[in-house]
Amino acid sequence: MTLRVDDVSFAYGTNSVLRGVSFAAEPGEAVALLGRNGAGKTTLTKLIVALLHPDAGEVWVGDWNTTGRTPEDMATRVAYVFQHTEQQLFARTVAEEVIFAPRQLGVSRRDAEGIVEEVLGLVGLALHRETHPYDLPPAERKLVSLAAALAQRPQLLVLDEPTQGLDRSHVLRVCEILRAQARKGVTVLAVTHDLTVVAEGFTRALVLDDGRVVVDEDVVRIVASEGRAAELGLSVPAGPALSRALDLPGFPIRMVEVARAMRSRFGVG
Amino acid sequence: MTVNFEKVSFWYPGAASAAIHEVSAEMLAGEVTLVTGPLGAGGSTTLLVAAGLAPQVTGGRREGAVSTLGVDPSTRRGRAMLRGRVGVLLPTPHTQLSGMAFSVHREVAFAPANLGWDRARIDDTVERAMQLMGVSHLADRDPTTLSGGELQRVVMAGVVAMEPELFLLDEPAMELDPQGAEALYELLPILAESATVLLASTDVDRALAIASRVIVLDRGRLVARGDPEEVFASELAAAKGATTSIAHIVREAGCAEPYPITLEAARTRFLP
Repeated sequence: MTLRVDDVSFAYGTNSVLRGVSFAAEPGEAVALLGRNGAGKTTLTKLIVALLHPDAGEVWVGDWNTTGRTPEDMATRVAYVFQHTEQQLFARTVAEEVIFAPRQLGVSRRDAEGIVEEVLGLVGLALHRETHPYDLPPAERKLVSLAAALAQRPQLLVLDEPTQGLDRSHVLRVCEILRAQARKGVTVLAVTHDLTVVAEGFTRALVLDDGRVVVDEDVVRIVASEGRAAELGLSVPAGPALSRALDLPGFPIRMVEVARAMRSRFGVG
Repeated sequence: MTVNFEKVSFWYPGAASAAIHEVSAEMLAGEVTLVTGPLGAGGSTTLLVAAGLAPQVTGGRREGAVSTLGVDPSTRRGRAMLRGRVGVLLPTPHTQLSGMAFSVHREVAFAPANLGWDRARIDDTVERAMQLMGVSHLADRDPTTLSGGELQRVVMAGVVAMEPELFLLDEPAMELDPQGAEALYELLPILAESATVLLASTDVDRALAIASRVIVLDRGRLVARGDPEEVFASELAAAKGATTSIAHIVREAGCAEPYPITLEAARTRFLP
């Protein structure tokens, strides 16, 4: 489903956060949203799910304008993963948390159980079905939020720092999940500070600065040159850095692809 | 030795298995020690045990001998002796606000004020801590209105302002943007000049430059410890994902250990 943010401005009282933000994201696109602390990234995501409403401008999710709509309305189309899970998680077990949205959306208990099984497997929490979400460390709680969001079967998936605090294997797993969602035609928008995550899971990057979109670029272009990344205050992740240092054919940027290219180039393994 | 663990195990209340199991390790003054490992490895628990917060606050049960700045942090005497000497940063800074300060300045001054320092010393340390953490411009803001990254910096400033002898930092850059994270990590060796710094993080890429010692845990058990360059180049650590991204990719490509852990090392190994 197409997301269209059209000349949106927003202020908390007199503290202006967004000043005329515009962009669109199409089905199947995975868009990363970057920017310094306090740049307004989280605020922008909250406007998309109607937790906040723009002071000026419009947010469109498909043919819905978010103005006048509630987060509950939006939930039939958009799933949201909060930055801090305690703003989101409320159930006594991981399974109850995940089954909540599909049941609310009218999915039969039987089908919903199937969805729970599937998404917990995807995020790697199958063994924690009956665990209390708050007995999990904060980083793993984030995976519960992600599972709950996937269980909504959204057409637009909005995530605020989905990989914060995760180790590499889980970061790669989350990126793989987001890529798979995009391949299925879901529009994915995620706030992140981690350029490795951007290289692994996304095709396009927006940079928010001083309340405006100052960069809207192909991910490969950003990570291809030290200079471009440095301009944005970022450093090139290991994958593309290795790819360039060893002059690997096709300039792969995802770790698994870089490893594959190295194997064929240097004949190891 | 500032912190010494001898066969330390810890069980959270009601947990069947130990969060850390017979861990022996030492953390020295003047050094930054990194505790790392896959998710659930036990890094956070190690910090909580060293601080005495586990089992004091968490409940649960500890076995083995812990010495923090020369005392057992789980005893009444130990707690009294450690008051104001250990600074802890939790990975969820918003849960760590005092809730009693209506400005960032007051928040940062909260711990020093509670330690009964005189006004001049408090003003002095608070100003320096806020400057170090780059939050001076936020001094008059209400802490509850800050963004995640701003808040993490403010809470860290509060820890720095206490001038602790031991810093126990759990993912201190989790909410920070790359520039902020870089600046914070560069600060750690400076703090370690007059203190001991124990850093729990999964971000080996960033920690490599500043850690002088590393402890790798996996599901609560000690996997490897020692010099970061040696540990991260080893299959032992890399098999648990506790290595740099460069080493991880090289390992995935099917190369043998020791793995090159930096781009330069990879260049040297693969290019004639």
